[in-house]
Amino acid sequence: MVGVKQVSSTNRSWTKRRDAKAERLKNVEGISSGKVIPTDRIIEALESLIVPGDRVSLEGNNQKQASFLSAALNKVSPSRIHDLHMIMSSISRPEHLDIFEKGIAKKVDFAYAGPQSLRIAQMLEDGKVKMGEIHTYLELYSRLFVDLIPSVALVAADKADKEGNLYTGPNTEETPTLVEATAFRDGIVIAQVNELVDEVPRVDIPGSWIDFVTVADKPYELEPLFTRDPRHITDLQVLMAMMIIRGIYERHEVQSLNHGIGYNTAAIELLLPTYGEQLGLRGKICKHWASNPHPTLIPAIESGWVESIHCFGGEVGMEEYVRARPDVFFTGKDGSMRSNRTLSQLAGQYAVDLFVGSTLQMDQDGNSSTVTSGRLAGFGGAPNMGHDPRGRRHSTPAWLNMMTSDDPLARGKKLVVQVVETFQTGNTPVIVESLDAIDVGRNAELATTPVMIYGDDVTHLVTEEGIAYLYKASSMEERREAVAAVAGVTPVGLKHEPKRTDELRRSGIIALPEDLGIRRTDANRSLLAAKSVEELVEWSEGLYNPPAKFRSW
Amino acid sequence: MSVAFLFPGQGSQQVNMLKRLPDHWLVDKTLDEASEVLNESAISLDSETNLQSTVAVQICLLIAGVSSARVLAANGAKPDLVAGHSVGAFGAAVIAGVLDFQDAVSVVKQRGEWMEQSYPEGYGMGVVLGLPEQILGEILAEHLSQGEDVYYANLNSKDQITISGTIEGIKKVLDKAKEAGARKTELLNVNVPSHCPLLDTVSEKLTFALKNIQFRNPEIPFAGNRTARALRDPEAIKEDLAQSVSHSVKWHQATSLFYELGARLFVELPPGRVLTDLSCHAFPSARSVSVDDSGFHTAQVLINRVKQPY
Repeated sequence: MVGVKQVSSTNRSWTKRRDAKAERLKNVEGISSGKVIPTDRIIEALESLIVPGDRVSLEGNNQKQASFLSAALNKVSPSRIHDLHMIMSSISRPEHLDIFEKGIAKKVDFAYAGPQSLRIAQMLEDGKVKMGEIHTYLELYSRLFVDLIPSVALVAADKADKEGNLYTGPNTEETPTLVEATAFRDGIVIAQVNELVDEVPRVDIPGSWIDFVTVADKPYELEPLFTRDPRHITDLQVLMAMMIIRGIYERHEVQSLNHGIGYNTAAIELLLPTYGEQLGLRGKICKHWASNPHPTLIPAIESGWVESIHCFGGEVGMEEYVRARPDVFFTGKDGSMRSNRTLSQLAGQYAVDLFVGSTLQMDQDGNSSTVTSGRLAGFGGAPNMGHDPRGRRHSTPAWLNMMTSDDPLARGKKLVVQVVETFQTGNTPVIVESLDAIDVGRNAELATTPVMIYGDDVTHLVTEEGIAYLYKASSMEERREAVAAVAGVTPVGLKHEPKRTDELRRSGIIALPEDLGIRRTDANRSLLAAKSVEELVEWSEGLYNPPAKFRSW
Repeated sequence: MSVAFLFPGQGSQQVNMLKRLPDHWLVDKTLDEASEVLNESAISLDSETNLQSTVAVQICLLIAGVSSARVLAANGAKPDLVAGHSVGAFGAAVIAGVLDFQDAVSVVKQRGEWMEQSYPEGYGMGVVLGLPEQILGEILAEHLSQGEDVYYANLNSKDQITISGTIEGIKKVLDKAKEAGARKTELLNVNVPSHCPLLDTVSEKLTFALKNIQFRNPEIPFAGNRTARALRDPEAIKEDLAQSVSHSVKWHQATSLFYELGARLFVELPPGRVLTDLSCHAFPSARSVSVDDSGFHTAQVLINRVKQPY
């Protein structure tokens, strides 16, 4: 080939990564025995395996935490290990940021930092953290295979054998993704396990992908984040849940869906066996789910509403219930659940008819954000579920129902529903003229404003006033009118002309409860299939074992 | 899980707040140390008459907080983090090991005197409940631009903000806040416009006074009032103690930071339960107790339980 100069292959090494890994592994020959690093030598091992400037993927998501390894990383000598680039789907433990204060780490890419959101905003302002990007879960996971490939992955599992085969059981979550991205590019994978066994109950991650295992001083931390006590569901939330079942699920025949976590969605789940049954909807809606094993789904499962659920992660206390319902949940040969956050997020983004979730702020165009002033939280998975992936082609009734023209190339749309009460406690309006996120983004010098769900993806807005069918609006102006019409007495709502409400109702762009055949006085807690955690346990025939903090009997 | 000790500010003052402290040798010792610096008997400062002066109020709060924390510590109940609201920050600094108690007494006395002398009349503070910070900010900016001396003072919680300035200006802002939808507004019984630029000269004097006082590294993180950061550098703490009198106290942020740092038990030192109410509301999943309400024994049991969960 003329003009193209080939680098002589005799001078060029094609195995630099593999060679570098081999060098590092040699450093721990005196520390590890086979693949096992002794618990009390983990700090020393990390100091020998990690190099300054490394890209380190630390497993910490909103449920399972590699807490033993994160605590050990916080104890390495900053003179030996510094300037690490951390990749964490969730920044949730104090030591996740302590390592930046000590200089062990410098730069971060993450998806969610809710439990440390004030601190990370302060540290960014003080120059103690260098920001990569705030991703969605799927963006972060996919970037692990493109330009954020980890040099080291620190992950958590329940059990391991001496060959490094891992059992992650119900809490498999994103472990396979983090391991795959690291192991197949000559990175180093270290797994903390609760116990070392002769034989794992099932292999969730093969031992040949794992370099080292170490037994943690105590089991990894696991938070019951997806448990909502039905006691706290209000009559207003029951009203909104009735509107959603009647005015959205029934109207569009929603068969597959994801529910964000919150009392609003818990109310919907608990109304299916009562209000949904009265409407004769069983078998017609809500059959397939991409969601966590919410305890509030138990009554709907028990009364035959649910055909399948694929889960992002496990939920503390739901293990035995799930094990006893393999027709509904994904389970392994050992009987316990298999979750996978990456694949379930993908399903929630790409395969389901509908997402419904809540927010702290929404502007007049329907853009929403849970970022409030001075805090840098990120959104985890909500933006993945809460948008319309535009390349999709579905033929489900709900999807086709979103077509608003006769154009032969017209597309359907994913249903993205936002459900909010117009005011938070403390007189703070939820529907506002401008999002706090704009200032937060500017102050933190983010490349884009931290919007959770973009307004043009939102098809329905539900408030205690009614439903706005935003997908039907023919212009931006009409869309704003529809938002304002259900915005109550917020500043946005007060600008709305009440006489336009009737016109919007006639054209079907908004619906009030009475338009859906719902009497406000009927909406009360007595409709909930379970009114307490205790009743959820009863529905589960004693299989659900709630954590102590949810037990009141 | 960690324990945060919170030291209250002027709004928590109570008649007889020193006389109600437990009968304990460490309380006596603390009172004696204070009396030595003051050249008078500290125990009499908490009478209704004496508390007319902000100097006595501030000294009493310092003594009550420090002596109570010392009693708890003697029973093994120590904090992992400390914060104090306004003058309470001096007690917090003493318990963090940054500053000697007697030095704190002498500085707080001067602080009180300078504050008292700066605006003998016509100035004070007000509180606004249930109005978003941004809306109150717009009202304040409007009045400030019209030449009124009114400023943000303390951001105590998401829905409790105090303002400082001229009584006349405060009244106008409170009326506007009410119109804008505030749940409640009130003129406070305080005669010093604290935590705003009107007290810049007090900060200057304090900076000078603190120069000659020895500060040590804190044994535990100390929350700055002005920055809401967990401070670990003695010079930064010195600066915060001097500057906070003329700057907003970001209490909500400071305690939120402690929550993120792992605080799950907030213990308010005597007197009162003002800060406990704020924490209860802001952190429903943590526990907040006032030593005054629950007693020393209960506080001690709870603290020790957090330290040894198993």
